[in-house]
Amino acid sequence: MARDLRAFVTEFVVPLLAGADVWVGKPLRPRDRDEWAAELGGTSFPELDFWRLRRGQLLAAHPELPAPDHDELGLWMGLHNLLVFEHPDRQRVWAREVTWRRLEGATRTLLTLPAPEDVPTLVARHLSVGAFVDLMRAEVIVPTAVGEIRMPAREPARRFLRAGGAGREQSVPWLPQNHAPEVERLLEDALRASPLTCLLRPLLAPAGSSPLQAAVMLRERGWARAVCHAWARQKDWMTTGGAVMSALLPSLPRAPAPLPAAAGGAGSAGGVVAALPAAGALLALPGAVVPCDPHDLGAIIASLIHLHLLKVLELDTRVGLALGSREPGVLAFLALPLLLPQLASELGEPVPAVASDATAAPVVRRWTEYVDHLAELVPRSVVENLLATVVGRIVQPA
Amino acid sequence: MPNALLEPVAAGQTRFRMQGLVSDARGIAIGREVLVVLPSIDALVSFLGAYSDEASLDDLVPTMTLEQAQRSGGGHATLIRCGSGDGYAVDRLARLATTARGQLYTGGGAVFVRWREREAPFGYDLAVALQPGRDEVIVADVDFLGRYTTTHRMDPVDLIQRLELRPVPIPLGGVSRDPELCGLKEMALVLVAPALAHRVLRYLWRMEMPMAGYYARLGNDTQSSLLLRLRQPRARALDVLSQVPGIELLAPVSSRAAVEIGWRHPVQLASAQSCLPGDEMFLFRGRAGRVERLDGPPRFVDGRHLVESTVGVRLREIGQMRDGDLEVLRVELRMRPGALAREPRAVVIDWDQVPMLRHLVYMLPPAALAAARIVPLEQGLVVLAAPSALGRATPTGLGAGLLLPIGRRLGEVAPGVLVPDGHELWPRVRPALLRHLLGLQAEDHALYLAPDTDPIRVRPEQLRPLDAAVVGRLALEDAAIVTPDLPAVGVGTIRNQRLSRFALWGFGGLPAGGPRPVGEGEG
Repeated sequence: MARDLRAFVTEFVVPLLAGADVWVGKPLRPRDRDEWAAELGGTSFPELDFWRLRRGQLLAAHPELPAPDHDELGLWMGLHNLLVFEHPDRQRVWAREVTWRRLEGATRTLLTLPAPEDVPTLVARHLSVGAFVDLMRAEVIVPTAVGEIRMPAREPARRFLRAGGAGREQSVPWLPQNHAPEVERLLEDALRASPLTCLLRPLLAPAGSSPLQAAVMLRERGWARAVCHAWARQKDWMTTGGAVMSALLPSLPRAPAPLPAAAGGAGSAGGVVAALPAAGALLALPGAVVPCDPHDLGAIIASLIHLHLLKVLELDTRVGLALGSREPGVLAFLALPLLLPQLASELGEPVPAVASDATAAPVVRRWTEYVDHLAELVPRSVVENLLATVVGRIVQPA
Repeated sequence: MPNALLEPVAAGQTRFRMQGLVSDARGIAIGREVLVVLPSIDALVSFLGAYSDEASLDDLVPTMTLEQAQRSGGGHATLIRCGSGDGYAVDRLARLATTARGQLYTGGGAVFVRWREREAPFGYDLAVALQPGRDEVIVADVDFLGRYTTTHRMDPVDLIQRLELRPVPIPLGGVSRDPELCGLKEMALVLVAPALAHRVLRYLWRMEMPMAGYYARLGNDTQSSLLLRLRQPRARALDVLSQVPGIELLAPVSSRAAVEIGWRHPVQLASAQSCLPGDEMFLFRGRAGRVERLDGPPRFVDGRHLVESTVGVRLREIGQMRDGDLEVLRVELRMRPGALAREPRAVVIDWDQVPMLRHLVYMLPPAALAAARIVPLEQGLVVLAAPSALGRATPTGLGAGLLLPIGRRLGEVAPGVLVPDGHELWPRVRPALLRHLLGLQAEDHALYLAPDTDPIRVRPEQLRPLDAAVVGRLALEDAAIVTPDLPAVGVGTIRNQRLSRFALWGFGGLPAGGPRPVGEGEG
């Protein structure tokens, strides 16, 4: 990789966004980011702008995108460095192990970005990370006397690849492959940099991520529709919805429990100090708490319910009968339409209770049958759990 | 409690108290002979019949003696004494003896002990020494002792020949209803009374049945009876013969024995060849209740030597045919009004009525429309309901000729020959000959458009499908392929540039700005 912003954009960023050969070369230093950031603001990259727009249009017709800034450049460089750890020439680089650890730290620095606060930044982050998780890896298969040898494709080698010339090339998805330990760790950092990617691909989201981080998108009707349709396009929509719920429920901040009365308690009455704090008291300081606005939470729940409606319209609601073996997240997701009587005052109804015309009548009938079907399948305890944890945060008591 | 007469033989025991008892390969105590004690003659017959079904009596008969014996305590019994083979054969004898309500003992001479059973899998040996009396046979069971004195002996061969046949049913509809023809499918023996011999021979000769036979004198008959052998006889002939009194059909059961149909010998004669000594032929007659022993093997003579030919004329070949004499028979094929109603197979529509056809086409069902053919002629448009079957399977359903209410209708008098409705060709020659006379090829049609006109030949390539001819041609517009203005977004593919050995140059040094957290840093 030439130490040149234009070469980097041309050989890595644009192919990453457009879908071409993404060339991975020498790792980039955070110092380069500072130098190139100034150049990025003053130089025009029409091809980069075009492909950012084109990839953004996969989500919405007219996405509003900010100009590439210092953070996005760092994200690109971090993604590039992430791929260096699986470079086939890694073994021939003269460097100690500690140097590779320094490179990992530098890459993590590049990938550690502030949480996006507005929709354009969320979308801009997703452009790169979303394309990154879909990457393919070119592999060369060389038939030998002892079998086929698969190796990552690189520039034409000087030795037997050129001499043999009989290797055939094949592209395999990169993400599902086995990765180096550094890549596994840095991949979580890359995904945390893009909350929208974690929302759209919840099965890939790292532990600790929350859909609340991208909930601002779901508060806008157009983007919420785009997200719902992206969910509906995925192969197993129930697992997807379950993953969203699985990520959402633990990230809800706990309601502050009333502290026990310090004086006059039973524990100190006899002069004995309890070894453990009383029930309800915090055992440790809470971790990073995602702010949970009732409107954000309502937007997520409404979007997931809308996913149910989309599948009802698609006639794709074959809910399996083996619900007893399902994950709690999937059960919570399937229980969401059953919360509508309590949430309707805040979120509205996905379909009207009475069909207004003959066209809507089958939809209303199918939706009613679907909800009744779910009521038979989903255990009552799941619904009651959601009523206690979720509904109270959305519907404020009068 | 009385002392046991027998004691079970232990595994591996080789010395026995009873003389003549030895152990076989399986360790079972077995004597030289076996004795089957049966309660009656009927049980004996059942035993022999059951044994002949399973195995060959020829193995048993050479050493077998049948004795009628009196029991010392009172009562009679039938004793079968025969040499014992291996333990398996004795096991089978024991099983069949039990089935025939008898009991099997093994031993030799005059003392026999019970055969092995569940409690004594290796058999029994005497617990006490026994001393038989004169002309006495002692059978020792576990808890009793039987003493038998022989009253008289029976010859097993004689017994088997004297056994009474047992009737078996014949199918109600006759022999022909049985798929195996009561055992006569391959060969039948026909025993004909002397008075019927000539008539039966005449009948069979007229039926051209392959037969052979000879005259044999049966018993004390004054005249010889005719014994015929029919190979693969016809069922009909067997039905006739079986219903004639004086004629008996016999099914061969072995090479030298035949049993009348409708009867069965209690013993499988096929497995009892040694019971029929000599080379005589035995005919077991059920209705007459006799067993005929023919002297020597049957010597059948071919059937043509048994019949008398009374034909005195000779066939003569035709010398020469007179062609010219048939000239006076030559007639002309004419058309005349006929009263026979035929389904119209075609209509001739005048050209001024053709526009009406355009409207009527919409009414035709799809099968009729697909099958209909048209021939445009000067006289009008001929609509054929379907290309004539011409001897093949005819199409089903209503044709266009019946459904179109316009034009003059044509009926089919022969395959592919259509005449105006209400007319026929005279004389009524064969349809195939009619096509031949008209000189039609295999797929040609001949149309008589009017009674007084000559027929028109229509070749198959001149027939046009009605639907293709009347339906207007549809113009298809080529689909316009629109190339998208914007290039598609794809998926990137990772490719690796070559890394130099100093690719991490610059990451190794300590950071200039002071210490940093572990795992993070830049050179």
